[in-house]
Parts: sequence; C-alpha cells; structure tokens
Amino acid sequence: MNRRAFFKLSWGSIGVAALVSAVGVSLAAVVRFLMPSVFYEPPQSFKIGNPADFPFGPPTFLVEEKIFVFRDRDKGFAVASAVCTHLGCTVAHFQSDQRFHCPCHGSVFAADGSVQHGPAPRALDWFEVTQARDGQLSVDKDKVVPPTYRLMV
Amino acid sequence: MNPIREIWQSIVRRDPLSTDKGKSELVFLNVWLHIHPAKVKKENLKFRHSFYLGFITFFLFLILVTTGIALMCYYRPYPPQAYQDMKDLQFVVFMGSFLRAMHRWAAHGMVVCVFLHMCRVFYTGSYKKPRQFNWVVGVLLLLLTLGLSFTGYLLPWDQLAFWAITVGTNIGSYAPLVGGQVRELLLGGHSVGEAALLRFYVLHVAVLPAAVILLTIVHFWRVRKDGGLSRPVWKLKSAKPEALVTIGAPTAIAPLQAAPASSSKTYGLMEVVSGKPIFETVTPEEEEDTVFSYPYAFVREAVALMATVTTIMTISLFFHAPLEELANPAKTPNPAKAPWYFLGLQELVSHSALLGGVVAPALMVLALLAIPYLDRNPSRHPADRKLILWLFALFVAINLVLIVVGTFFRGPGWALVPPWVHVVGGAE
Amino acid sequence: MERRLQQIFFALSLLALALIVAAAWQANTPSWKTYQRSFLQLEAQGEPNAAAKAAVLATPPEIHQVMLTGLQRVDRCTTCHLGVEDPTMKNAPEPFRYHANLGPHIPSKFGCTICHGGQGLATDKDGAHGKVDFWPNPLLSKDYIRASCGRCHKEGDVPGVPELTEGRHVFENEGCRGCHKLNGVGGSIGPDLTGEGANRRSPEWLERHFLTPNAVSAGSAMPNFHFTKDQARDLTYYMLSLTNEDMGSYYSSVRLIPGPEYGRQLFVEKNCIACHSVGGVGAKTGPDLLGVTMRHSTEWLDEQLVNPELVYPGSSMPEYDLETNARKALLAYLATATPDDVQLILSRKTRAWTPEDVAIEAGKQNFARFGCVGCHGTELQGGVANPNAQGGEVPSLLHVSEDYTKDEVIAIIRNGRAPPLENPAGPTPPLYMPSWKHVLSDEDINRIADYLWSKQQKAKDTW
Repeated sequence: MNRRAFFKLSWGSIGVAALVSAVGVSLAAVVRFLMPSVFYEPPQSFKIGNPADFPFGPPTFLVEEKIFVFRDRDKGFAVASAVCTHLGCTVAHFQSDQRFHCPCHGSVFAADGSVQHGPAPRALDWFEVTQARDGQLSVDKDKVVPPTYRLMV
Repeated sequence: MNPIREIWQSIVRRDPLSTDKGKSELVFLNVWLHIHPAKVKKENLKFRHSFYLGFITFFLFLILVTTGIALMCYYRPYPPQAYQDMKDLQFVVFMGSFLRAMHRWAAHGMVVCVFLHMCRVFYTGSYKKPRQFNWVVGVLLLLLTLGLSFTGYLLPWDQLAFWAITVGTNIGSYAPLVGGQVRELLLGGHSVGEAALLRFYVLHVAVLPAAVILLTIVHFWRVRKDGGLSRPVWKLKSAKPEALVTIGAPTAIAPLQAAPASSSKTYGLMEVVSGKPIFETVTPEEEEDTVFSYPYAFVREAVALMATVTTIMTISLFFHAPLEELANPAKTPNPAKAPWYFLGLQELVSHSALLGGVVAPALMVLALLAIPYLDRNPSRHPADRKLILWLFALFVAINLVLIVVGTFFRGPGWALVPPWVHVVGGAE
Repeated sequence: MERRLQQIFFALSLLALALIVAAAWQANTPSWKTYQRSFLQLEAQGEPNAAAKAAVLATPPEIHQVMLTGLQRVDRCTTCHLGVEDPTMKNAPEPFRYHANLGPHIPSKFGCTICHGGQGLATDKDGAHGKVDFWPNPLLSKDYIRASCGRCHKEGDVPGVPELTEGRHVFENEGCRGCHKLNGVGGSIGPDLTGEGANRRSPEWLERHFLTPNAVSAGSAMPNFHFTKDQARDLTYYMLSLTNEDMGSYYSSVRLIPGPEYGRQLFVEKNCIACHSVGGVGAKTGPDLLGVTMRHSTEWLDEQLVNPELVYPGSSMPEYDLETNARKALLAYLATATPDDVQLILSRKTRAWTPEDVAIEAGKQNFARFGCVGCHGTELQGGVANPNAQGGEVPSLLHVSEDYTKDEVIAIIRNGRAPPLENPAGPTPPLYMPSWKHVLSDEDINRIADYLWSKQQKAKDTW
C-alpha cells in the first residue's frame, strides 16, 4: 500500500487500540474498585496472649476466634480450628478421648484433626502460630499448617 | 460454512457496512440504535447550532448511573455509617475518591447542561409547533434533574448535606396547603434524620432515575417524531409547502387492499396514512444533503461522549468532592446554605418566604411550561423574535445574579458580605 | 471534516486512556504503601539471614485496621505506625517507634484515637492526624494526651493524671455549676458542658478561655475567676475528658480505677471508724480490721461488703451499695491501713455534730456544689459584674437577712428571680438567679437558707 494508506492504517489502529485499552483499563479498574481493601470482620491474624497464660494439658478454647490452643510440654504450641468442616458448627474437645466431636451431625475428628467418623469431608485445619516481637503468640488463620506443626517457645 | 462466520452472522444479521443497505440496517435493525433515522440531514448535525447539549446532558446521565451503581457497593444509607462510608471511599477504596468526584462533578455538570440545553432550545425556537409538548417534557426533566441532585446532596450526611437539605425542605414547606405535608412525606418525620436519609436514598437511586429514563424515552421519541434534531431552518431556502414530501410516502393515494395470506410474501409496515405532513421534512433539494447516520451522526455522538467523559475525568483528577464534618443537628453552620442551584431561591426566600419561596418559583415554572403555548410567533428566526429572546435572557440573568449573590455575597446571618472581606469569629 | 472527527475521537480515546491510567496509578500509590515498604526494610535488617529478609520484604502491602464497636470507631493508624507493639523498635524513627507503657491499653482493644485524637478512618498523614479542615478532633499534643484518660476513668483518682482530679475539684468548688449544666445538674446561663469535650477539642482555646473568658468568647457573661495557670490547665484536662460518649460495657466498667487512695476516701466518707477499729484504734462494735485482707480471701471480703448479713446474720453493718471497683478500692486500702493513719482520721473529727451543724454543713456543701459560689462568691461577697442590674453586680448575701425573711429567700431560691434593672430602657442583664425547685429538694433548699443565715453579718452591730 502507499504511504498515505499506511499512515491512515497505523493511526487508525493506534486510535482503535487506544479506545479498546481505555475501555479495558476502565473495566479492570472497576473490578479492582469492587474488591474490598479492608474487611469489617474480625481479623484473620491476631494475637492471643503470652505463652505463660496457656496451661499444659487440655487445650484452651477461645470462643470468639474459634480455635483450640494446645500446649505440650515437649513439643510446644499448636492451634487447631474449632469449626467443623462439614457445615461450620463449633466442635467440642473432650479430654477423655482426646478427640473433637461436632454436636450438629456427629462428626468425630481424631487428635490430629483427621476425620474418623461422620459427614465431615476433610480434616480440621491447624493454623500457623508464631511468636511476635513483643513475646505474644500470634495466630494466622490464613496460613494452614500440617498437624505436626509445633511452635517451641 | 466457516463456523465462526456462522456464529457471527447469527448475531450480526445486516449487510456489510460498506454497502448503503448495510449502513441503513445498522440503524433500523439494531434495538439500541434504531431511535436514529437511517439518514440524517447535515444541518441536524451542526455543532454550533445545538452544541450537542442534549447529547452531553444524556451522556452525563449515563456517567452518573454507572458511577452511581459503583458507589452503591460501598454506601449504606443509615446515618452514622453513611459518613463512615464516605470516608472509606476517600481513604480505603481503590479509586473511591476518583469515582465519587466523577459522580459529583457530573451531577453539577448535568444541572448546568440541562439548563443550557433549555436556553439553546429556547434560542433556536425549537419548542414551537409541533414540538410544544416535548418542551414540557423537557421542563419536567429539568425539575427531575434538580430533584436528583437535591436527593443525592443529602447522602454524604455531612454538615453541608444536612443543613442544605434542612434549608431546602423548609423552603418547600412554605407552599400553601400542601407544603408542610409534602415536607413530612419527604422527610418521613418532622426533621431531617434517619427516615429522611433512607427516603432520599430510595428517591435518588430508584424512583427519580426511573422517572428520568421514562421521560427521556418520551423526549427522544418525540424528537424523532417531530422531525428530528433541531436545525437552523431559517438559514435554509424557504420551500413551498406543496413541495414538502415525506420520505417513503406513496406519491399517489392508494386504497388499502386485502391480500390473501401467502407463505412466501414478507410484510413491512409502511406509512398507512397519507396526507400533508405536519412537521418540517426534507425538500427534494435537501434529499441530496442527507447522509447516513453511520458514520456521520455516530462519529459526532462518539466525539461528544468522549469529550464529556474526558472532561469529567480531568476535573475529577484535580478536584476532590468536598466532605465536611459529620452532620450535627445541634450545630448549625452560619450561614446554612442550600445547594448552589437553589441558592437563588434561598436568596428570594430571605426577602419574603411566601413571595420568594413559593409564588416566584411557581410562577417561573408555570411560565416555562406555558412558553410554547403563549408564543404565537411562527418564525424561528432570531431576528424576528428579539423581544422574547431579550425577556428570556433577562430571566436567565436574574437567576444567575440571584445564585451569585447567594453563593458569594451572603455571610453569617445571611448578611451581605462581599467575598473579599474575611469575616472574623463567626459561629463557634 | 469526517476524517478530522475520527482523529479527534481517537485522540480523545488516547486522552481517556491516559486519564484512567493516571487515576488508577494515583489510587495505587498512596503514601501509606511507602511507609510500609520503609518499615519492612527496617524489619528485614533485624532478620538473621537472606531468606528471612526476603520473606519479610515480600509481605504484601495492606491497610491495617482495628474495629472497635464498643468505642464506635475504626482506627487505621497501625497501617503506618507498624512498630507500636514491637519492643525491638524502641529506637526506630517515627512513625515506626515502639509505644512504651501501653499497659492494658493495647491497640487491638483500644485503637489509638481514643487517647491521642486524630482521624482513625484516614490513611494519609495529615488526614490521620486530623490536621485538616472539617475534622474537629486533631491529634492532642503531648501536654494534653493524659486528659483522655478521663474519657473512661471518670471517678476517683487516675494514677499519673492528678490534673483530672484537681480539675474536677476546681469545677465543683468554684461554682461552675451555677451557670453551666453538667450531666443534667446546674444552671442554664452558660452552655451545657455535658459533652464539651466532644464539641471542643482545642486545649489551647480552653486554657485561654479559663484565663480570660471575654478575650476568647466575645460578649460572654462569664466573669474572670483569676485562675492560676495550673488551675486553667487542670480545668482544661477536665473539660477534654467530658466526651459524653456511649461506650461498650468493657470500657465503661473501669470508670473507677481501684486504688488505696480512693479506698481511704471511702473509708472516711462511709465513716467505717464509727464501728470498726484498726489495730485497736477506733470503735469496738465491729471486728478489728488490721490485716483482715490476710485472714480472708478477697471474694469473702467483697461478699461481706455487698451483703453484711450473709456472714453475720443480724449484723448492724449497713449495706453500702458500693460498685465493684469502689469495693476493690476499699479492700486495697484495708490491705495497707495502719493504726497511725486511722488515728489521723479520728482526730479530724472534733466535737459531735448537732443536727443544726449538719444542716449548715450540708447547706454549705450544696452552696458550693450547685455553683452558687460562682456568682455569689465563696465568702458570699458577690461582686461579679452584671451590666444594667441594680448595683451593676451580683449582690452579696452577707446582709440578706435585713431585706428578706427566710421564707422569702427560700422562695427566691425555688422560683428564681430576674434582677431589677438599673435603667429600665437598657439591655437585659446577662446574669439572673435561676429557679432551683426542679433541681434541689426542699430539704436541700432549706439547708442552704440555714447556711446563709449562719453567715449573716450583723451590720448594725458594727456601729
């Protein structure tokens, strides 16, 4: 094609590209706009207190955070989710058999969280627990760890 | 056949745009575009005739609807949360302050443009027979636009919003007989509070936009039926009435005949009546001056759309929408001012509640509505209408002066204070 | 023309692209992200190895927010102030420095703005520090932050903030209630101060106002009380603490910080020494209290205070209706009470009081408490300016018995009175005697009258 046609085509393509990009970027911006930057919910990662506040033996159940905090003399801290993986009820932990029982549909989880019994589809989550710089224990529900994870303090 | 081609042709069923038939079909076979005529007179597209103000107003409305829906995802219309959500939009939401700014400046822009559009329609005499009722629809749209702006003004629930609406609804309550009751209906109570916010929200996001859309449909439809977009008809050669022809009308009056049903025949609805047209149409000479809507009309509309959008975006990048303190019913700012488009009204009210707040605006609206019916001059040429143009210009000027005085020259206690004097102290 | 229009359209498209990209870029580069990056670099320096450093530096930027429903606010300060709970950041530059001495007031439970002021919802520096238009609650300077303690701790002493207790005393004793209502009690001449701390957060304004009211509030009828700078500061602290906010029960449960000083105050107020002794000093009706906290558990003693009959049926110890923290304070005092201290308490009580003495003392307390001293003076001398009232000032009450009977005075106190005008055509005097019958009981008013009569100076005797 001759030079004139070439320039007409390239400016035209730039124009079309500009239009398409403008629309595309605007759509992407709208999608990003709709994604919340803050959540009006309790935070996923939070501090639970000083290690000394947690006894050995039976786990401490934290009601609002829905977690069990285990403390073992030899191995350290572990934090398990108290939310049943079936439909979300809060499970109970019994010292007598060291297992988690869900009152809603009878799911039973072993001491390591794996499903032994009942309609629950998967094991209870164990969450990462670390020690923050001020010495307190910090739990992060966004980080799921294997049941063997322990924090030695 | 190529499967992609098949899919494409099942969606796009017109001829290619390189053909005249294709260009026509793009318009009249398309549900979104068929309000346009397939061909349009060049004069209808003149920028310096209409400045595309009607289109710009409509595009501003589209901007308002889209940004408004986006903002609705974060805004809760209950008093303490409403203000917090405005702060969230400002500080936390991605592009929250930009979108809010776009919404606010487009709103102000729409009020200005709908007013300018009305002035232009008046100046070009485009309200004359047979377009009188479309002017009435336009005035109704003006009032709805002001209503949308007013209801939206309350939603941020800051001091500016709260007191502007308090003043505005109090002005309205001066209307005789129904004023107090209408005010209570609007507010859902005796003063601006939770109920008022919720009702204003419902009006602002649902009721008034629906009314605007319905009336806009009527407004656009009537423009088409009345003969198309306005053009400076006084600049064209005057045509003999007999020479006026309707495009597509049968030249001979043919009686309707019932034909037996056929399986192969196709039908189209042509003009089923004949007779002399009541509105301006195309003379045979002008036929040659018509062009296809695609691309002539569409490219101009697209440019108007782009110009509107980029202007609003530019303003929004540099100017943030204001947000004052949380609404405090116990603390009245001094002076408490209505939104700017009602400041002329507030200025009038400060002189006389009944005359200024009720009689004058009611007369103004009635006069506007009555213009096309009172104006007996058939000419649209500005030279033949000097008196009425000057009257209208006076009306516009008075309104502007009142608004300017109310905005810049009224200080604490509604005292006249020039804007270059700094008032010390004020209300604590 | 058509080509030109097409070119314009595409040029505008380019412009639109540039604008949307600019808006998105502006939204994506808020200042807090820069602060977070700097903090991560600081934190990474403290990490032992490269892998840990990289892990820290890879933390995605996000807004940190504390939702405090009980305090009805949301604080985002920790988005930039990231080292607030990290002791290793003791010497870090602001905004990353560690906040020492938080005690129980941790950010996750209290946020930051309840003490420091500022705008918790904001995420840029000036906005968050409240140093912008239309945010009436800017950051409190170091000199005044401790006033915020009074927003929750409303009774008794607040350890470390003597200004609050002093401010409260000045308010009650200098007669402020005579013109200003506080929590529903007081006069209506000046503005209601119940939420003053919420309305006015400018400590400088408040202090200047206490030192020279008319210089700051033009045309104010408030007389100059000639407060010292310290008194003005104490009053300012007190004002700043009057925020009248609804707080969740967790926060309002610590209105009073239990401490032995307040316990001693209660010990004196409730006159425990009338029946009990400490180490032999005092009365013999009830048991001796020396070392009682070693002999019994706190719960037992607390129960005793709530319900004396429970442990000793038929006990003559009254039920004092003390709230939880007040009882804790009393027990805290008993843990430290010594016979010498109790001797001091006893010695303050001289002769036994007659009912008349009690009535006059109660009247005197009321006269101060309800603010009469604000206009009529602590010595009943009057003298506060009242333009266009007869005499030009608030009258002295030292000779009131010469012009009125006691019943007439009681009627004036009950119903109030506008002052007679010096110039009937002139402006209304700003100060007037308010009506107190809806605020004070008849008994209280009678006692005030008794107090006034006890102070009458017999002018004729001086001849």
